[in-house]
Amino acid sequence: MKNKLFKLFTLFAMASMLLAACGGGAAATQAPTEKVKVVIFVGMGTGTDPDQVDAQNKLAEKFNSTHDNIEIEFLIVPHEEYATRYLAMLSGGNAPQLVGPNGISTVAEFFDTWEDVTPYIEADKLDLSDFYGPAVELNTYPDKNTGLPLGLYPSYIYYNKDLFDAAGLDYPTHDFDDKSWNMDKLREYAMKLTVDKNGKNATDPDFDPENIVQYGYDDSWDSMRGTLADWGAENVGRPTTSDYKTAVADSPEWIQGLQWLSDGIWKDHFIGSAEVQAGRDSAGVDPFGPGTTGMFYSHTWFLAEGLHDLSFSADIAPFPFNPKGDRISRIDADNFTIPKDAQHKQEAWEVMKWLTSPEIIVDVCRIYGCIPARKSVQATFLEQLKTDYPGIDYDVIFKSIDYLDKPNNEEWIPEWGKIEDALNNGLSLVYSGEETDAKKVLTDSNAEVQKILDEYWAAQP
Amino acid sequence: MNSSPRLSLARRESLWAYAFISPWILGFIIFTIGPMLASLFFSFTEYNIVDSPRWIGLTNYINLFHDQLFWHSLGITFKYAVIALPLGLVFSYLIAVLLNQKIRGINIWRTVYFLPSVIAGVAVALLWGRIFDPKFGILNPLLEQVGIKGPGWLADPQWAVPALVIMSLWSVGGNVIIYLAGLQGVPTELYDAAKVDGATAWQRFRYITLPMTTPVIFYNLILGLIGTFQYFTEVYVLTNGTGNPARSTLFYNLYLYQNAFRYFHMGYASTMAWVLFLIVLAFTLLIFRSSDAWVYYEGQLRGR
Repeated sequence: MKNKLFKLFTLFAMASMLLAACGGGAAATQAPTEKVKVVIFVGMGTGTDPDQVDAQNKLAEKFNSTHDNIEIEFLIVPHEEYATRYLAMLSGGNAPQLVGPNGISTVAEFFDTWEDVTPYIEADKLDLSDFYGPAVELNTYPDKNTGLPLGLYPSYIYYNKDLFDAAGLDYPTHDFDDKSWNMDKLREYAMKLTVDKNGKNATDPDFDPENIVQYGYDDSWDSMRGTLADWGAENVGRPTTSDYKTAVADSPEWIQGLQWLSDGIWKDHFIGSAEVQAGRDSAGVDPFGPGTTGMFYSHTWFLAEGLHDLSFSADIAPFPFNPKGDRISRIDADNFTIPKDAQHKQEAWEVMKWLTSPEIIVDVCRIYGCIPARKSVQATFLEQLKTDYPGIDYDVIFKSIDYLDKPNNEEWIPEWGKIEDALNNGLSLVYSGEETDAKKVLTDSNAEVQKILDEYWAAQP
Repeated sequence: MNSSPRLSLARRESLWAYAFISPWILGFIIFTIGPMLASLFFSFTEYNIVDSPRWIGLTNYINLFHDQLFWHSLGITFKYAVIALPLGLVFSYLIAVLLNQKIRGINIWRTVYFLPSVIAGVAVALLWGRIFDPKFGILNPLLEQVGIKGPGWLADPQWAVPALVIMSLWSVGGNVIIYLAGLQGVPTELYDAAKVDGATAWQRFRYITLPMTTPVIFYNLILGLIGTFQYFTEVYVLTNGTGNPARSTLFYNLYLYQNAFRYFHMGYASTMAWVLFLIVLAFTLLIFRSSDAWVYYEGQLRGR
């Protein structure tokens, strides 16, 4: 009898251990509560810095204290794990209710997983006219609307006024109509701002390109599509025709743009190579902050990331006109999206509306560094900008929205990730000096993109 | 009252043994065999995680052999294996020989050489990323001291793989410990007898130490082979998962990862995993086959 009891006890203990070992999912079966929980997956883009996490928790408290039927929780995922974690949640039947802030690129990356919010907009008869037109357009695809706009990140030139003063140069114009501010002028300024260890600039015959201590220009934080979107190609930031069947990455405008970049690195030396970028990356600094870059082309999100505690004066200027005489200033945008597999879509929609409402959107955008996508809050936001970033020309930010790239440099195309990687490999060839002939790079890249497209369409049922 | 027939002692012991190892067996079936079988199934499907898998037969396997990046990534992995594997084996063996000397403070040295191997791969990668930095790292200034202009290392497509090989040598502590155990298992009477016969230090090493430690070399070779073909963490961290510059570090497993989690071709990635398994299996079998010719087991009779 004693022996049997011992056996029973042992079996019970083993069963308990097994259940404990495999019991990860047991916590998920909680007793039903009155409030529906909307988990917001954060990590696709911005939102994971400690300050942002605190601010999001406060935002959640604000929501939860004012809503009786829904409770929100921000799930912070390290940016480098966003794809694996999101896909694991989807495949495990545990999709988050809301995902964001989502850039155009991550919307494209996971395009098939998003719910179309058009029926929700129609059901609520939601007036979208308060949103900037481009912000709505960036979320609207032929077969779906991926979400309400949250914020825009127009791009422009951040420039170091001290370096311009030291070089005896006028600051770049802030006049959006001044056609003399073009890519040639940018090159000229950038070369004069590029200095070697002997203090000679890149226009000097005795300039030493092996020992550069200060560069004139940088646009290294963007992809091939982003880098070339402003050069005026017919398909702007899209490497395919509008039917997505033909690759057009070798357009004359893109070749001209890439050659300008390649020459800027290897011939005129005013742009840092891959080695220079690696140095900055390993030191954990951005291209602008250390004060050794005259002009940095970036987006509004850099305000939050890089315009604090600078040891020099800085301002912003419009991106120059391209050689065709047009100004295109690429844009990024953020929204929140609802996964198709989310269990509480209606509640997620309510949260999305709240996050993008005129009452809250400024607070949300202050967390993420974006320009609120609503026109009605522009004045409120401007006051906030003046407090947070005094002394810069705020007009440049708002006016740049009008020159966005359309089709956008991050928008969805078939096999988005594969084509991005194929193109960015070309950019890496140029930055590393492995191949400096833009025509060859883009001809090869275009062939690779075409092959990817052909395989994609061949596999369609 | 009928009592059930009693089980024999051997039977009862077997049942208890199975009962006690059942947690591991269940874990192995659920978390290893199960996913393996699932990936085998997925390798014959088109599966993007979101939609249900669609059976496409051998299409993934056929496409794989027409995929230039598959061959490119395989080539880079082979290149790395061909350099890193022998270099790592020789380097760790030499260090083990040095650490097998009877000198003062040897335990401290052994600890020092083993320490790097207990550091996580991510930390190692970040550390070496700083060391290899062409502008601010410590390596190039050291090279400059001896008149060598250092390359761009991880930023240079020609030097990225050699840089990763150098990095791998830093973590050979695990191999060294295994070699050391092997070296200490060599009977000292063999050395004594050789000395009496007038053998030089080199001859003692060549004809006693080396043959007697071939089982350990064999063991490290097999594990090293598998490890080099599974190389992933460091290159993922250092290149942010891109395999750049100019795809010069697009290792097989990184390309597999990209297919799975960036391009959402989970079926294709599963195919790549199985092809890798077959490649590693083939090399492992070859090495096992060759072991008869060069691995010496004390007390083993040839041909048995």
